Amino acid sequence: MSAPLIEAENLAVRYPDGEIALHHVSFKVESPTFMAIIGPNGSGKSTLLKTILGLMKPMRGHVNLMGYDSEKEHSKIRRLVRYVPQRDRIGLNVPMKVKDVVLMGRLLKKPLPRLASEKDEMIARNALVHVAMEDYWERPFPELSGGQRQRVLVARALAGEGQVLMLDEPLAGTDMESQELIVEALDQYHRDNDVSVIMVTHDLNPIHTLVRDVLMLKNTVVGVGTPCDVMDPALVQKLYGPTAKIVEHSGHRYCLTRDTGADRHD
Amino acid sequence: MIDAILLILESPFIQRAIIGALMIAVVASTSGSFLVFRGLSFMTAGVAHAALGGAALGLFLQASGIAPWFDPMLGALIFAVFVALVTGYAGETGIGEKMEVAVGVSFALSMSLAVFLMYYIPPVQVPSIWGYLVGDLLLLDNLDIVMLSGTALLLLITTILFNKEFIYVSVDMEGSTAHGLNARAYHYLMLITSALAIALATKAVGAILVYAILVAPAAASNELLSSVRGVLVAVFFIALISQFAGIALSLSVRTSPSAVAGILAALSYVIALQIKKMRDRVHIDEELEELLKMDANEAQHVHTESHAHDHEH
Ligand SMILES: Nc1ncnc2c1ncn2[C@@H]1O[C@H](COP(=O)(O)OP(=O)(O)OP(=O)(O)O)[C@@H](O)[C@H]1O
Ligand SMILES: [Mg+2]
Repeated sequence: MSAPLIEAENLAVRYPDGEIALHHVSFKVESPTFMAIIGPNGSGKSTLLKTILGLMKPMRGHVNLMGYDSEKEHSKIRRLVRYVPQRDRIGLNVPMKVKDVVLMGRLLKKPLPRLASEKDEMIARNALVHVAMEDYWERPFPELSGGQRQRVLVARALAGEGQVLMLDEPLAGTDMESQELIVEALDQYHRDNDVSVIMVTHDLNPIHTLVRDVLMLKNTVVGVGTPCDVMDPALVQKLYGPTAKIVEHSGHRYCLTRDTGADRHD
Repeated sequence: MIDAILLILESPFIQRAIIGALMIAVVASTSGSFLVFRGLSFMTAGVAHAALGGAALGLFLQASGIAPWFDPMLGALIFAVFVALVTGYAGETGIGEKMEVAVGVSFALSMSLAVFLMYYIPPVQVPSIWGYLVGDLLLLDNLDIVMLSGTALLLLITTILFNKEFIYVSVDMEGSTAHGLNARAYHYLMLITSALAIALATKAVGAILVYAILVAPAAASNELLSSVRGVLVAVFFIALISQFAGIALSLSVRTSPSAVAGILAALSYVIALQIKKMRDRVHIDEELEELLKMDANEAQHVHTESHAHDHEH
């Protein structure tokens, strides 16, 4: 029996300027899984990921990833994880090629001088195939469209090594086609490789037939469970306000908010 | 003719100027490029002026007899590192704008300190503070050359060893840390070595040349080239050619080689923008031509595809 993917106990996190981003967060998710973290803007989704990675310290309580404590054992956690931050955290001033970005996922975990072997290149190219970006290998990364850049970043995670993929809003600013592509690539990768995927997203609808666990956050845990469990009118209203509704269509429950479909990040 | 050139090259002034120009080109291609990659070109100006404050402090400590051993250059280097540390601290989360503000504040603080101390420095010595801002390629002495070459080599070695790390930190500090890289160490290493080099380069060839030559060629190359290595090499040559042109011109006309080199370097950016504009125009023409060539059937196919593409933007 392997350790749970994430186990949080009474976790509270605050930013240096005093804002409490997370409080009383307790939940447990078993591994391996394909997990989604959902919640409105500012609900602490990114903060939770950063805390798990040891980039931020808990003010109260603790959180473990695969049994490792986020504070004391963050170097072990960082060996396990491949992380893609929210898109606005990626600098576009550096003239990197698409291949450099994808290879970064592998080279970061290599010792100096971090040279790319033929095997690295092969794996990187293959990862790009999964997100249908293989023709862009030599193209300058900053000149891609937002959705294309997002796909390349997903490929960076696919190309890396480590049991846990963590992606902060990989679907932000992508069209339906890209969303499907990304989600399917992640799902297939999760099945084929026995890895866990943790994905932050605003909209559960395009992925709720694929994910196994859902964590609803609004600075604290609103709900946790399978997509069907959390697709509950009371829960989604707590999360998105009184206009949120649940509709059923061909055996699945979907969440309707006033702005479903429109992406709130662009 | 050849005799004349040989004669010129034998002059120790010219020899030092040429070595100095080479070293400045190295600083530009390493520090300059990476500061532009990080969106921190303003740090060049901040460090140079902070160095002035440090030099003033050194002169004050010497003149007042508090610490006669305190060389003004030491003050300049300490203040330069101070700016790098404040900037680095503000940018630990990887956000460029915060770093620009930190540069501005620490720069203002150092400048104010310089002006404040000037009241307490014997008036005859005040011009030598400003001397830290207005060096010139033809006025280099042997100590300048030794110090400048030392830091330029240090920068070159760190960049060769850690260029991937510097790139990763510039592109994705958070992700790099999360993958186990000691991003913070590389972040500070990059800023501190750059600050030292900028302070020494400023003392050697003057602030005007340092701004122009650290920022403009890197910005120009970054507009046109799409690989890090390409940018570093191009910056080196743009910097070198501008400076050599400055030195050559100053031999026939009475002029400051640093100023000429600064003007040429700054022009490189303007030219790069023009080239980019022209290139984009040619690109569009080609693309339109291509679209025209397709027959009706395929054109329709392309239409739907380019439509889907538009959607992504
Ligand atoms: N660097 C920061 N400094 C101070 N406060 C912050 C910082 N980053 C986030 N916060 C605050 O912490 C809270 C949670 O932010 P977080 O980024 O985790 O939200 P999120 O759920 O990821 O939102 P989004 O959907 O917009 O990405 C917010 O109230 C935000 O204002
Ligand atoms: Mg977020």
